[in-house]
Formats: sequence, structure tokens, C-alpha cells
Amino acid sequence: MYKRGSMRGVWVLALLALAVAAPAQAETAQEIIAASDKIRNPQEPFRSTNTLTEFIAGKPRDQNVLVVYAKEDPATHQFRNLIRYVAPARDQGKMVLLDSHALWFYDPNSKASVRISPQQRLIGQAAIGDALTVNLAIDYTGTLLGDETIQDAGRKDRQCWHLDMKAATDQAVYNRVEYWVEHGTHYPVKAKFYSDSGRLLKILYYRGFEEQLGRIRPTEAIIIDAVDTSLVTTFKFGDFHAQNIPDAWFQRDYLPRLQPE
Amino acid sequence: MIARMCGLALLVLALADAAAFADENSDLDLIPEAATQRPGPAPAAPAGAANQRLYLEDAFTATARRGGLLVPFPPPKPASWQERLFLDARKQWALDDRLNFTLSDRFNLRAQDNLDFPNHENTINDFREGYASWEALDRTYLDAGRINLKSGVAVGFNPTDFFKTRAVVDPLSVDPTVLREDRVGTLMGLGERIWQGVTLMFAVAPKLYDPTPVYNNTNLRSFDPSLDRTNAHERFLVKGSANLADDFAPELLVYHEANRTSFGANLTKGIGQKTVAYAEWAGGRRSSLIDEALRYGRLTGTLPPTAPSAIPEDPARHFQTQLSIGGSYTTESKITFNLEYHFNQAGFSRRDWTNWFGVGSAPTASAAITRQLWYIRSYAAEQQELLAEQSLFLRFDWVDAFIPRLELTGFINTDLYDGSSLIQMTADYHLSDAWTVGGLVIADVGRARSDFGSLPQAASVLFRLARYF
Repeated sequence: MYKRGSMRGVWVLALLALAVAAPAQAETAQEIIAASDKIRNPQEPFRSTNTLTEFIAGKPRDQNVLVVYAKEDPATHQFRNLIRYVAPARDQGKMVLLDSHALWFYDPNSKASVRISPQQRLIGQAAIGDALTVNLAIDYTGTLLGDETIQDAGRKDRQCWHLDMKAATDQAVYNRVEYWVEHGTHYPVKAKFYSDSGRLLKILYYRGFEEQLGRIRPTEAIIIDAVDTSLVTTFKFGDFHAQNIPDAWFQRDYLPRLQPE
Repeated sequence: MIARMCGLALLVLALADAAAFADENSDLDLIPEAATQRPGPAPAAPAGAANQRLYLEDAFTATARRGGLLVPFPPPKPASWQERLFLDARKQWALDDRLNFTLSDRFNLRAQDNLDFPNHENTINDFREGYASWEALDRTYLDAGRINLKSGVAVGFNPTDFFKTRAVVDPLSVDPTVLREDRVGTLMGLGERIWQGVTLMFAVAPKLYDPTPVYNNTNLRSFDPSLDRTNAHERFLVKGSANLADDFAPELLVYHEANRTSFGANLTKGIGQKTVAYAEWAGGRRSSLIDEALRYGRLTGTLPPTAPSAIPEDPARHFQTQLSIGGSYTTESKITFNLEYHFNQAGFSRRDWTNWFGVGSAPTASAAITRQLWYIRSYAAEQQELLAEQSLFLRFDWVDAFIPRLELTGFINTDLYDGSSLIQMTADYHLSDAWTVGGLVIADVGRARSDFGSLPQAASVLFRLARYF
């Protein structure tokens, strides 16, 4: 008995040692992406004002202001978006809607809604899809490539997960995305977007981490056009407000009815 | 030895990794210094600013006329030049939480070679919209006034856009997307209820005038709101849409005007990240375009009431279809193409074209006959109805084309029977947020005996300068 009891003790000690020595169960790629989504996107319905500035050969050129209304669809866990152009004057009042399946562009001058694809250009080098609030974990399937230390937009070293993401739905804006997410914080650091043919289209850096709607989130993004690297667009996400947005807003027929706040 | 080799391999791997990360970090060198400056807090959107547009534009158009037309064009000849200065305003005022008022208007000053100066025709006011909108209950709306009500998912031709008839006044561009913008609305009452995933709308427009003759650009109303264009019949529209399944939300329409009921449907479908397919259909019992045009000409006194038809007409009413089917595709370089097939069963068939050219070019063709033949075409243009029975439409839109701030758009509309085409290319360069300079070229290309090749305008060029406020 003593011997058996002694052996049991050894096993218990061994298991305890293993439990202490082994790292916590590793997160899957999809869990990392989902956690990063929660950093990028407030979980409650919200309104924000986004300022896009285009740089050409290092010089600022045009500035555009958009108001974004976003709300997560409980059925799909993807965001529904309404984007309203505020500036420049020639674009005032135009709107883009992403409901659960389709993107619509509404022009108050023609009072016509036209269905568009996510690849259609929004402003400057930014596609419409770049300005949308999306949960990447829904639109993409990720694979963990490994750990890397890369510099963030402020040239500070960040220990990151390096993920490779493939489009999982037709709503995904890009065919493939490389994504770097910081260990521990799940802060998004960098992303690279690729075309169907594998061509690198854009490089994106997140920065300006500040508390917004109850959590530290990136409030700026820098998008480098990888095809013409003299073209850079910066996004400034600000003026966040939690807002109760009726579901009925996110449909094509509501676009002519939306009133500015 | 093995240990040394393993060590060397690990060192090589480590160096390779370091090189890869260094390469990854070199992307940061692409960020310009100015873009790394922390911007100030994002400005809050100015209240109400998103529901207005105001701009002043000057446009000069020169037109080359075509000589040796097979079917002589009746006077007045199209202007060979036009200078136009206009102030265009659209604004919505919130009168209450649930009540707002919308005004859309364009005031034009114009001079052209076939107009005397000064003349009341030098000032044309396009009162496009003026209506009140009341949200009687949450997402239940009642609108009343002059309203531009549009329908349709296609770009080049919208069979379900029932209120487009006679609504375009002296356009500067023939791009269908611009024609949708530059048109007057109909005096109507409109009710709409938006549920989750379902929308139902009805519109009622009263008859205020008897039908008036087709306008040309030398007899436009000056300050008259031209309600005769839009309210010459009682008109009813019921429109509904519903999300029935994943990416399946058809829109159905029923429209009634002057003892004629039409039905319509719209459907879109996304295909991947770059392509959208769409189809737009309308159908109803009606007579041919030729018969409708001649009846309208006789009714409004433009044609003698007893004038026989110069070409065979079929007064019988049949169920006739209009269709626009196609899709859009966006390339990696962000050029968006729309390709559409258009069908108008009531339009000109091959036999109608043969008759039109045969009768009009005969040595015995009198001025009355050629006037009647051209009247059919001017009626179709004012109704915004396709003259060709079948046509193919290709449009592109390219933002930042070749150089930043340059937007190129263009389209070609080809009559599938004779291969003739209407082509327009537009270039707009945004000098700043406020100033835009641009130009466009329109060409009617084809043989003398063809749809577009028989038109009196061969080509025109327009230069424009716009100031946005």
C-alpha cells in the first residue's frame, strides 16, 4: 500500500509540475483575430467621425470626413454599417450602406441607390471596404504563422502573432490578409492586403491607441499603397458615441430618410 | 562536428529571421514624415451640413453638325454653341424632429447661336424638388410636394423608373447617371413604411394639365415650374421590397398611368468582392413607340389630327417588355465597369428602321413627312425611352486616373441592329475641394443609314468650371 501510495504521490507531483511548467493553452488563430476585433471595434452600436487625409509624395493633398454608424448583427456577428460623407462639399450627403449581404451607394443628388462591390473606391487609395467596421474573424479564416517582433507605426518593437488570413465569405474585402497582433494585449499592429492574384495591394499600420467607449482602441490607421508607394492615406477615427441605432436604418430604402445628427 | 553544423544552421536561421523582420520594418520607411504627425482630434461632423449641396458652374458647349443627312432634320437646327452659367442648390431643412423640407433648384443663364439675345429663353429655372416630409410614426413617412421619385438598379437604362418621362430639361451630358440627377420631379403625395427587411411605398400624382407638345431647347419655359411635363396624367405607383433569403431581396412595382398598368421588378446579386449582377424588368400592355409618338403628336397639335402615318404603325396593344440586365466589375486598379444589355420590345425593330430611312430619304418625302419622322425620335428622347429595340451599354468610372484628382468616366451605347453608337468621355479634375475643371466629348458614330449616324449632331465638346460652396 505504501508503495502504491508513494507512486500516486509521485504522479500527483509530476502532474502538478507539468501544470506549473506548461504554458497556458495556446490561443488559436481565430481566437486571436476575434480578440483583436474586440479591440478595434466597440461592441455596442456606435457612431464615429472618420477623417481621411491623402498624402502624395509626402505632401497632404485632400481631406475627407465621413460619419460612420455601426452595429453588430446578432445573427451573423458581423457589423452593419452606414457611412455618410460630410466633406468635401461636392460629396456631402452621399452614403454607403453595408447591410448583412450587400453594399449600396446612395447619392442624394440623383436620389438613386446603386449596388456596389467592396472593391469600389471610396476616397483616395481607400476602398469602401477599408472604411467599414468589420469583424475580421467572421470574414476570414486565419492560420498562425508564428511569433515575430516587428516595429509598430511609432517604430517601437512589438512581440506579435503573425497570422495569415484567407477570405471566408464573399463579403471579405480582400482575398488574403497578413495580420500582426500584439501578444497579450491583442492590439492590432499591422496588416498587409493581397489581391486574388497574390499581389500586395496595401500595407496598414494601426496607431494612436486611446480609450474610446470603455476600452483602449486604435484611433488612427495609416494605409500605404503598395502598388504606388508615393500614395499614403491616414484615417483618424474620432468623436465616438454609443448610439442606439434601429436595425431598420441598415437597409437600402432607409438611405434617403437618414437625417444627420 | 554535428553540433557545430547545428549551431551554424541555427545561426543562419536566426539571421534569416532577423533579415525578414528587418524587411518587414522597412515598410515603415514608406510612411511620409507628415503622415506620422499626430493629428488633432477628429472634428465632429457639422450639424446638418450633410444634407445640402451648392455650386456655381460655367459650361461652354460647341457642337459639330452632320451634313448630308439621309432624312433631313426639320428646323430649328441644333445649336452649334451654347454658353451656360448656372447656380445649383439642394438643401434640406429640419423644421422639427419629424418634419423637414427639401428644395432642389437650378437657375440657368444661357446664350446659344439659335436664340436671340436678350430673350426670356436666356433664363431658365429648373425647379426640381420642393416637398415636405413628415415622419408620422417611427419609420412611417408622408411626403407631399414636387418629388423626384426614382426606381431601378441598372445604370444605362431603367425600365422601372416610371417617373422619368419628360423630366429631363436641356441636359449638358447624356450620361444616364447625370440624367437621373438633372431632372424635375412630379407633384405628388407619397407614403412609405419601412419595417425590418420589408418596405412598402405608394405614390399618387394628380393630373393638373393636359398633355403639352414636346419641347426643344429653344422653347423651354423660363420661370414656369413646368408641371405640364410631370402632371399631365393621374399616376399611381406601389412599390415593395422584402429580404426573402440570403442576398435575395427583390423589389416589385405596379404603376398606373392613363389607362395603362405596368409591372416591374428589380433584383441584384453580389458575386465575390468585385462583381455585382443586376436585372431590371418592366412590362405591360401598350402599343408600339411609333404609335404612341404619333398619337401624342396629334393629341397635342404638333401633328395634324388627321395626318396619316408616314410609316406603318400598329395601334394594337400587346404585353410588351423592357429589360436591362448586366453587372459591374471593379478591377484591382479601381476602375469600375458596367456592362448591360437593354431591350425595349416597343422600340424600333429592323423593319421600323428600314421604313424610317426608306420613307424619309425618298425623293418624294415632303417636309411634313420628315417632320413626322423626326417627331417620333424627339418624342422618344423626351420620354427617355430607348429608341432601339436592342442595345448594349458599357460604362467605366476611373477615379485618380493616371494622376491623382483626375476622374475619367465614359460610356458607349451601341444599337445592336446597325452597330452605330453614342459615345461620351468625361474628364473632371479637382483643383481643390472647392474647384473642379472638366470637359466632355460626345460623339454619334455610325453609317448615314443608322440610329446614331443619322442624327444632326456629329459631335460636341464641353468645357466646365465649377465652384462648390
